Amino acid sequence: MTDLFERVLLPVASVEDAEASGRALAQHEPTAVVVVHVIEKAGGAPDKAAVEQREAEAEKMFATARAILGEIETATEYGTDVSETIFAAAQDLGASAIVVTPRGGSRWVRLLTGDVALDLVTETDRPVVVLPEIGEGDGAGEPTERASEESESATAEGGAGE
Amino acid sequence: VSGDDTELAKDLGPLAALTIGVGTMIGAGIFVLPGDAVLRAGSFAAVAFVLGGVIAMFTALSASELGTAMPRSGGAYYYVNHALGPLFGSVAGWANWLGLAFASAFYMVGFGRYISRIFDVGGSVGVGPLSLNVVTLAALVGGTFFVLINYIGAKETGKLQNVIVVVLVGILAVFTLLGTLRADPANLPDTATVSETLGTTGFIFVSYLGFVQITSVAEEIQDPGKNLPRAVIGSVVLVTVIYALTLIVMSAAVPQGFIADLVTEVAPGETQPIAVVEVGRQLQGALMGGALLFGGLLATASSANASILASSRINFAMGRDNIVTPALNEIHPRFGTPYRAIAITGGLILLFILAGDIALLSGAAAGLHLIIYGLLNIALIAMRYVDPEEYQPDFTVPLYPLLPILGAILSFALLAYVEPDPRLLSFGVAGAAVLWYLAYARSRTEKQGILGEYILSRSDEMPGAAVSAAASVQPDGGDYRVMVPLANPESEHDLVRLAGSIAEQRNGTLVATHIVTVPDQTALEGAAERADDIDATSRALLDSAVEHAAEFDVPVETHTILSHRGYEEIFTAADTHAADLVVMGWGPDSHGSPGRVESAYDDVTGDVPCDFLVFRDRGFDPSRVLVPTAGGPDSALSATIASTLAAEYGSEVTLLHVTDDEDGEAFLGEWAADHDLADAEFRVERGDVETAIERAAADATMVVLGATEEGLLSRLVRGTLVMDVVDDIDCSVLLAEQKRDRSLLQRLFG
Repeated sequence: MTDLFERVLLPVASVEDAEASGRALAQHEPTAVVVVHVIEKAGGAPDKAAVEQREAEAEKMFATARAILGEIETATEYGTDVSETIFAAAQDLGASAIVVTPRGGSRWVRLLTGDVALDLVTETDRPVVVLPEIGEGDGAGEPTERASEESESATAEGGAGE
Repeated sequence: VSGDDTELAKDLGPLAALTIGVGTMIGAGIFVLPGDAVLRAGSFAAVAFVLGGVIAMFTALSASELGTAMPRSGGAYYYVNHALGPLFGSVAGWANWLGLAFASAFYMVGFGRYISRIFDVGGSVGVGPLSLNVVTLAALVGGTFFVLINYIGAKETGKLQNVIVVVLVGILAVFTLLGTLRADPANLPDTATVSETLGTTGFIFVSYLGFVQITSVAEEIQDPGKNLPRAVIGSVVLVTVIYALTLIVMSAAVPQGFIADLVTEVAPGETQPIAVVEVGRQLQGALMGGALLFGGLLATASSANASILASSRINFAMGRDNIVTPALNEIHPRFGTPYRAIAITGGLILLFILAGDIALLSGAAAGLHLIIYGLLNIALIAMRYVDPEEYQPDFTVPLYPLLPILGAILSFALLAYVEPDPRLLSFGVAGAAVLWYLAYARSRTEKQGILGEYILSRSDEMPGAAVSAAASVQPDGGDYRVMVPLANPESEHDLVRLAGSIAEQRNGTLVATHIVTVPDQTALEGAAERADDIDATSRALLDSAVEHAAEFDVPVETHTILSHRGYEEIFTAADTHAADLVVMGWGPDSHGSPGRVESAYDDVTGDVPCDFLVFRDRGFDPSRVLVPTAGGPDSALSATIASTLAAEYGSEVTLLHVTDDEDGEAFLGEWAADHDLADAEFRVERGDVETAIERAAADATMVVLGATEEGLLSRLVRGTLVMDVVDDIDCSVLLAEQKRDRSLLQRLFG
């Protein structure tokens, strides 16, 4: 498994996500980590939030991840489709694996926001590691899963999240 | 972020940018207001719309220049704040935010009318006080829906907007083209007077708010140097032409009185027919009527949707500058939207729908935007006048300064033709924004306007009134400003060392001032004219202050202040230069001896505007600092000063507590821990306070004394206890008096 963590791409969606995913990933002592935030573009229409604001937000996410993971590379990407942008970034940055921590949420929330983790495991061209969020006090476990075409693992993890 | 990424971030093409403007404007201009406009201005209704378009065009030109120079999020607010500073920035920001909320409420009431006509339901639902008419109910439901869309951040709606606008323009093109064929001058209603026409322009000006919202997403526009001016100016031209043609059709292609009859012949419980729809039906049959009815629904919806989105950009830019709390802009972890800002704007929209009628909503939206437009033109003039190096607009307003001056004058002048109630409301919002700045934002925002910076940096050359106006409203957010009024060369060095070391420890700014007292008989202007003497003295003093301050790593400002008053001018200067701490000398050579001070002091209130540190200079030697304390707020300031000196010069600090109680040591231990002075030596003495202080001072090089509730300055004047101690001690003495919190009202008007 170590080769998987050689150069990990860690997509983060929010500061909370950066913290949770950073904690989950830190357990596995990755060799190198690239933390990526995708600024979702509307593609020819005004965005849902200012780009400048989300760029500032990305810096906060990177700072959070850095506090947990130590030295990391960071990248801010722009794209209309978050999962496709993550795949493109993984390609460009030569990532050994993409690490995701499902963000949970009800079916409704996932319907409204799209389920990036699900897209990542179902459309992937490289290893995707789905890590469970580490709850309060159970930091010792190592339940790493290698997700394949089976999207079930991701969705099942997702249900336990929030 | 690489250059490529920046390109990716800018994905609004020319059409998308244009449709933001057209889509926001057309909903109101065509689908809600023309009926009333024809009733008010008769055949001059088209003229009223064209006039509005012309006035908007001046501002569109200015907005284009500013937008190409600063393609930043936040648009109009950003430019005004950047150019004119946060006082006007607050006004522009609040006016833009609330103006968009009023506009959105207005669009939603229009939307409600269309819903009511489409489903042919009218009257009221509910009973008694809880009854709502159908239009209001539909407006509330629609408003809630579009707020939710933006709260969740459905990106599809943005693209839909482009389609909607193209469809609307298509429908209107057919309508006006076929309609003009039927036009007959004989149908024209009577013309209105000039003032009725202008009043109509004020009434319909809500139709010209959209172009400025393009600038609020300027950062997302591809090649803004080219596309932004095209979109801004193009949208104004396009809607003005469409408005004019539509109004011509509506007044010339249908018989006189057709529109008036629509209003008068409303069956009870029925919602008033919509003029443009009825004209379309009359001229081109049910299909056109239906298309216009459906189009109106889309148009009002897209106007509201775009406005809600634009307002969240204004909020973001205001929060970034700390004009409002940045907490407002928190991004939703799942939806990625600034949900708080949108929710608050949404609440306001629903409130306005319930509280205001259509004339109040549209009038307030127009009035608030006219204020912004005026300020926007002035902002352009300020940018051109100061001409900072980074100001490189790709598009420049032709015929400068004529057009922006006209734009400012016409925008403010048109306010006179906005209905009285909404006009009052608009001025009320602007006034409240000024108070908001003074009471809330001034102490938080750090950004100074280009104009204010320019005036203050040239305070010697600029007219005194301009300098003091700029200084009195400049922001003081975060920056700890230590003002040191200098009186004579002898004490200058020690005061600057003291003030500089405090400023350095607090990461603040040193503000050196020379207050020149001019005899009452001399006019200040006259004194300035024969200012050579004053100038030379002042220059020498301030230059040497700057030189001595170089020892510290702090920015230094210098100001020469001419005043009839000496001592009390310090209070005024502390206020206008936003000082957090004043470090002043006191003694035979300094600002007045007690005898001279007394009369001046009578005019001064017992409150001090900021922290004061009065230095009785007997040499600046901070190696052994004595802090007598009995607790209380002023000794807290003494403690801060002592720990600052310790940090800067490694001073040995001794705390002295004079008490006859047993627990003196315990008191000192606790007090020292509370005030970050746990390393200090403790000394507890009994007996007479004054004697004990004098005895302890024999071992010290500097004594820091806190004033008590009675007020340090009153003691200075009246020669009470502290004075005697100060005179009897051989080393230097610092008297510390902490700012007294005055009430908000006093601070605003005092």
